Amino acid sequence: MRPILEFEGVTRAYGPRLALDDVNLALEPGELAFLVGPSGAGKTTLLKLINREIRPTKGAVWVDGISAHNLKTARVSELRRRVGVVFQDFKLLPRLTAMENVAFALQVGDLRVSDQEASERALDALDAVGLGDRGGSFPHQLSGGQQQRIAVARAVVAQPPLLIADEPTGNLDLETSWEMMDLFADIAAFGTTVLIATHNVEIVRRLQRRVLTLVQGRLVRDQPAGRTGRMAWLASS
Amino acid sequence: MAGLILRGHFPRRQLVQVVVANVFRYMFRGAARNWFRNLGSAAPALSSMTLLLLLSGLVGLAGFALHNVEQVQATQASLLHVYMRDDATSAEVDSLWDRLANDPRVANVTYVTRAEALARAQGLPGLAQLAFASDSNPFPASLDVRVKNIDDVATIHNLVRSDIAVDPVYPTSYDRGAYQRIQAFLIGITVAGFVFLAVLGFVAITVTINSIRAAIHSRRDEVAIMQLVGAPRWMVRGPFVVEGAITGALSGAAAGLITFGLAIAAIAAGSASFTQFAPGVTVTVAAVAAAIVFATGLGLGSGSSLVSVRRHLES
Repeated sequence: MRPILEFEGVTRAYGPRLALDDVNLALEPGELAFLVGPSGAGKTTLLKLINREIRPTKGAVWVDGISAHNLKTARVSELRRRVGVVFQDFKLLPRLTAMENVAFALQVGDLRVSDQEASERALDALDAVGLGDRGGSFPHQLSGGQQQRIAVARAVVAQPPLLIADEPTGNLDLETSWEMMDLFADIAAFGTTVLIATHNVEIVRRLQRRVLTLVQGRLVRDQPAGRTGRMAWLASS
Repeated sequence: MAGLILRGHFPRRQLVQVVVANVFRYMFRGAARNWFRNLGSAAPALSSMTLLLLLSGLVGLAGFALHNVEQVQATQASLLHVYMRDDATSAEVDSLWDRLANDPRVANVTYVTRAEALARAQGLPGLAQLAFASDSNPFPASLDVRVKNIDDVATIHNLVRSDIAVDPVYPTSYDRGAYQRIQAFLIGITVAGFVFLAVLGFVAITVTINSIRAAIHSRRDEVAIMQLVGAPRWMVRGPFVVEGAITGALSGAAAGLITFGLAIAAIAAGSASFTQFAPGVTVTVAAVAAAIVFATGLGLGSGSSLVSVRRHLES
């Protein structure tokens, strides 16, 4: 089976500083993996490389068969339609309702989607994240956990093969964080590859999924799912 | 029927309708809504561009009139009136006429009698009263010589000034440097006009670029989301270009209407002096000028915002 995400000897430098140093990894379809490491380890840089917000200095990044490392600017949108993104700060549009936020992402990403289809699919996505009854609510009328769920619905409504999340539980309490993780696990169970960058050690330990540990730009540990390993980076975080 | 997959046909026309509706909604309706929402930041661009376009329209009309004046002056400057002595005989006049008609530098020669000269003067603004003031005819007979090249007027003047048939006191209408002075004046006016419009244009474009920059900044989250969900680049940039086009179109429409109104008002005044100041400016010319002003505004607004988007919007 072809990996959905593949890094081959990827290095990314900011001036003389190496944010990522010779990183190799591959994620299979339906896999849920955590990306952990201390602040400044290169987690966000790695996620930005996936979404082609930046290019690698060296090496190759493949996303669902697309070479993100040398992708022309005009084709970046093609790549991004294959990657759902969830942020710590949700990034919902405050003037749009929950339903409109999800439908907006769907329609601007694919102009062939009609209003009716967008509404139906947005409602399905909101149902899937447990907020089918809050479609008419504006973001400020929702809790942080609910807003993050809407962000997840927006990220998956176009059914991308890969979902990346950058500290998705950073602004949530522990209980809500667990609910979010259950949601991510469900999404992975339906075949979407999920990569979550997080600092939440408790969640990472208890879920026993694959854990990629970055320290100073190097992938120092690739712990397979089902094992509970020591987290060396904790000492430096 | 097991194993048979039935594929539903999605009507092409319906697909086109959906795409057009979405493009209209996100690019045009969204741009118009955001333009009104950000009217505060668009207002300086709107006013400076309106001023630029209005002045451009007026300068354009003035330039058109001056161009016509120059054409008239050039035509008049190539026509040399050779004034006859009152007591010149027909033979002397014929002899001079023959010399001039056979000169390769001369296009044609016409004899104007004293009566014709008087009649012509009576038809000219300002000269009519003078022409009627006297009982006797003060205008001499002349040979009107059309010179092929305006630079040869002086040569023809020197050729005929000492002829026996020609008035020794006031031999011709030649005024050395008159045409050159007009040309120099017009060139000066044109250069000054272009410099003024260039400065004003620079200001208007800069202000428009900055207003679009402000619009991009105020909608950075929306732009970021559009980029992250894979909206095509033209879809992300398009609304800002449309916003610039709205600014340009409204400025152009306002400036065009004012230009047209001022031109019509001036034409309606209909004074004889006006036709001297703005020859050739008609209702049609004013309408064309207004249309050009509008189109220029549209192009300037779109172009400025395109520059701003390329400069300030990351892909």
